[in-house]
Amino acid sequence: MAMKPVISFVLYQGYSAYSDKLNPVARNLLDALERVLSSGSLRCSVFFDGPTLEAVNMMAKPLELGRIKKGIREGFLEFLGGGYYDSMLPLFPQDLLNLQLDLHRSILKKLFSVEPVGYFNSSFVWEMEMTDMLEKHRYEYAVVTESSIQEALGRTTPVSGWFTTEDKGALMRVLSSSNTLSRAIMEDDYNWKNLIEPYCREGKAAVVALQLPENPSDIVPFMERLIDFVEANEVQTRLANHCIAHQSSEGRLSSLTSVGSRLGLPSSAKTCREILVRRPEINGLHKAFLALYHRGKSSDLSDRQLNHFYSRLMPVMSPIYFRDMSNDRGMRSPAVRYQGYRFLLNASNYLDDITGFNGLRVDVSDYLLAGRKFIWNENRSLSCLLDYHEGGVLESLNFKSSRLNLLSSWRDDGEPSVAFLDSYIPYSDYTADRLEQIISNREGVLTEPYDYQIKRSTVCDELQLSSEQPFAVGDQKGLFQIEKRYGFYGNTPVFFVNYRVTNAAYNVVKGFFGTLLELGMRAFDISQQSVLVDGKKVRWNMDEPLIYPEAKNLEIQDKVLPCVLRIEFETPASLFLGPVYGASSAAAPEEFQGLRIYPFWKTSLSSLSSALYKMNVRISRRGHFKGVL
Amino acid sequence: MKADLIDIQVEDFGEDIEIKLSGSLGIFQLAAVREKIEMLVSGPGCFFFLNLQYAHFTCDEYLPFFLDLLDRVKGQKSSLILVFNSVEQKKYFSRYSNIFEVAESRNEYKSGSFSKQLQLVGVHYGRKTGLRLSPSVAIAVSVLLIGWAVTLFSIIVGQGSEIADKQAQIIALQSQKDRYIREIDKLESSIGPLRKLGVVQDTTTLTSFGLIKDWVSYLEYLENSRREK
Repeated sequence: MAMKPVISFVLYQGYSAYSDKLNPVARNLLDALERVLSSGSLRCSVFFDGPTLEAVNMMAKPLELGRIKKGIREGFLEFLGGGYYDSMLPLFPQDLLNLQLDLHRSILKKLFSVEPVGYFNSSFVWEMEMTDMLEKHRYEYAVVTESSIQEALGRTTPVSGWFTTEDKGALMRVLSSSNTLSRAIMEDDYNWKNLIEPYCREGKAAVVALQLPENPSDIVPFMERLIDFVEANEVQTRLANHCIAHQSSEGRLSSLTSVGSRLGLPSSAKTCREILVRRPEINGLHKAFLALYHRGKSSDLSDRQLNHFYSRLMPVMSPIYFRDMSNDRGMRSPAVRYQGYRFLLNASNYLDDITGFNGLRVDVSDYLLAGRKFIWNENRSLSCLLDYHEGGVLESLNFKSSRLNLLSSWRDDGEPSVAFLDSYIPYSDYTADRLEQIISNREGVLTEPYDYQIKRSTVCDELQLSSEQPFAVGDQKGLFQIEKRYGFYGNTPVFFVNYRVTNAAYNVVKGFFGTLLELGMRAFDISQQSVLVDGKKVRWNMDEPLIYPEAKNLEIQDKVLPCVLRIEFETPASLFLGPVYGASSAAAPEEFQGLRIYPFWKTSLSSLSSALYKMNVRISRRGHFKGVL
Repeated sequence: MKADLIDIQVEDFGEDIEIKLSGSLGIFQLAAVREKIEMLVSGPGCFFFLNLQYAHFTCDEYLPFFLDLLDRVKGQKSSLILVFNSVEQKKYFSRYSNIFEVAESRNEYKSGSFSKQLQLVGVHYGRKTGLRLSPSVAIAVSVLLIGWAVTLFSIIVGQGSEIADKQAQIIALQSQKDRYIREIDKLESSIGPLRKLGVVQDTTTLTSFGLIKDWVSYLEYLENSRREK
């Protein structure tokens, strides 16, 4: 006698980077749920994140929510709880996690008059600390991946049913969802009947987690196909909480860790924190988030102000900003990085407003939690992170008015995008391609640690760095004594970067001294962007690198973001301009990730002689530069 | 890399500079703390707030440093305020609690009583002008200035009322004059027909009267006419 398949469907909507698409998504989700309820043959557990639920509330027609409530009462639907922004819980501070879990619970209660008992996270991240946290938030079970339970049990055969985990005296039931079966059903694999057999032994239900399509118009057809599938194959469906209630425990797990799925992590990764180690861009956003959170928490804010601040900060906790994926699914996409920093700087600006911050903040601390100090410098217009251990480079440069991180380029080699990374390269007649290769490989970079001084004056505040930087140009080895100064003027988006390069060796050195900026400029619409050198528009499509000799100033304009960056060179500099491309998915083999700028000067220094190079950097929204210098 | 040993945060609010030290500070960090703090207080600013709420001192060598720092800041005609409210720090600084100025926060320090505000203003202008006044002298000078101001005000008010009276009188006289002119016109118009008939001699058209332009001339005219008689 053939086995009758029993499946517990868990359907979830992934986070969308574009909130303007949420209303059509919500409308189609409501129509899809209507199909489920009218069919009577499909019972499913559903997870929508907070913004989607808000959109559902807005788009629901009269009586629609009432029908959904009736469906819940009759056992056709179950809403799973989770983070308001579907965040990966191990990455964030406890306060914000509690707030997110409470917010999601309250909106479910408001819309459908139910409290969720099942926890779901679309990234399928699990760590043992979550046991205690979820129990405190009155969750009874959580959906995790089969692979994580297999790893915990030390076996490779299919696992179904639920297990228990225990941590700090708290208990949580974990329900295994089959990756293989989910994929087979998602891809209409006819082999699914063979695959499901081991999961449904002894009357158990196989748990299948399916992501609803991202395109709003595909949601209803997807649901209709699923109903057809259930009816055609006579599949018996159960809610996830029904599995917990009517199946007995399969055993206890001493330790359970799930690295998560669809994060762009390799199989060797052990936890979701690996993404922070591997990708400096994601780590940078994460640490900027943490620094802002701690700053807000330590400010004297009322509870109301603090909640408003958190509500602006929390969108950064969305999983999309912690995925190493392209095509608008993760941080490889410039648009996603742009949006992440937009949320972050929005919260930062709000905090500046309510605390009346109108001065300058210099914070020397282990900002990136890397075991060494960084200097965070901030005024009302700009903020930047200076890594004085690695050649005095800027690792982030935020222009607050446009809510934009100018250094949000993406490098495939896993190195962070920086500004003012100095290098000394041999004197030669370079082609643009050759120079691009040298810069891209970061040859001849001067990255010895600097010592720092903070000099305050009535005109400007300076961060003065000084160090000896050894270099090797071909066979020639030498030593530079470099003084590098960053100067910030009050609350203006203007600063200078000055160098005094002294040849500390006995021999004469000849070569090019230059400094690299990797800007994460937008390349979605080149007609809206322009590059001007000495006030003249350069005919350049950002595809091929070029070298411009003897430039006095460089201006990069973007009308959409909006942002205009101008760099003025007191000593005319040769300019290299080139694109930063990154490998991405097969659909887009090369993705524009940013702009590489390398001003360089011919340097010939005898022993103990010095060269001075000065740059003024101005940033504005529309190119109306005002103020100092 | 001595500076790598300490976490330090500087917030520049113009006249107020808040320097926040955090972490565990022992003898190894002392040199770095000294270097960085002295560097920071050498810049502009009137009120230096040294926030030690999140600092933990593991040795007593920081006390002489803070006393030196206080001297240095006083020498710049500025103020040094230690910011903390923990029992641990109170105990650490208890020996010199009468010397150091301690506040729970920058805002708390800035929002004090009237005398406190006066003191803050004094420090601010002391820094700006280079002058320092003791409180008693400051109060005496203030009383003197206020007295001057009150006297000046009362004089102005008194003169103002006098001017107003005079103006009222001028207006009254002006209106009286206008009334007399109107009455004279009326009388002239009433005797006009009689004058035409020759019943009334028009003295105003007499040559002798016509020459009279003022009182002096009039008196001379009377004298002359008396002599002629």
